[in-house]
Amino acid sequence: MASLVPCPHCGARPKEEFTIKGAALARPTPDAGTEAWMDYVYLRDNPRGLYEEYWHHTSGCRRWLVVTRDTATHDIEHSRDVALSQLTDIRP
Amino acid sequence: MSDFRLVSKPALSDRTPIVGKHISLEALPEGHVILVMGKPGAPAAETQPVSLSDGQPNAVRTAGPGQWLVVGDQPRTQKEIEALFTELGADIYGVDQSAGRVRILVHGTMVERVLGKGTSVDLAATSFPVGSATVTLIGHIATHMTRTDVFAFELMVLRGFAESLWDDLLEMCKEFA
Repeated sequence: MASLVPCPHCGARPKEEFTIKGAALARPTPDAGTEAWMDYVYLRDNPRGLYEEYWHHTSGCRRWLVVTRDTATHDIEHSRDVALSQLTDIRP
Repeated sequence: MSDFRLVSKPALSDRTPIVGKHISLEALPEGHVILVMGKPGAPAAETQPVSLSDGQPNAVRTAGPGQWLVVGDQPRTQKEIEALFTELGADIYGVDQSAGRVRILVHGTMVERVLGKGTSVDLAATSFPVGSATVTLIGHIATHMTRTDVFAFELMVLRGFAESLWDDLLEMCKEFA
């Protein structure tokens, strides 16, 4: 896993400052049906390559980020603040 | 009624400061610390915390998007703080953190070398100039760090972690003290 994670607010920080929540998936609508919700809650792909994850900068700015990480090379493609606009996208 | 007397004392009152040629370490007076929270990116929010400060240099410090810490050496009463909060605009809130956070001053020519042992933040004066502030891990302790002068950094930490951080800093200072 990459040891330096680029935070859009704080710059490159070690991964120890972050808490990883897991895959950043689109949340189904409330009436999407049991199957869609079972998928969303329990089922995960295990891709080789780029993967979007929620990371929380717990020991830093305390913002939720979406970090795009390559599971094969450990490179981080980019990271962005979840709540703020896409303008905060940065690349390492 | 408690069986023993509750004594209020500064968190680092029994720690001895270091005074050295190249590095010094001291606990700052437990005055006031106010956390101000606004909407990240809101244009008026930046100027709001200034109205709470005592006007000293570096009294207002950034603490993440839309958040600031207003600090000072003089204690403020609950009434004074509540009066200040009424001046804040809509969508911006203050929280009194005076009892919850402790400030430590590290200064001396070796300060960057000392702090560099515990944090990954680039402390060079070009990338972290005087007045910059950020939250980072020092060892395993989340710390708010402000550069108050070229060779002076103020560390702010949750009260319960103050003694641990102080003891870590002692180790980090040892070779220069």
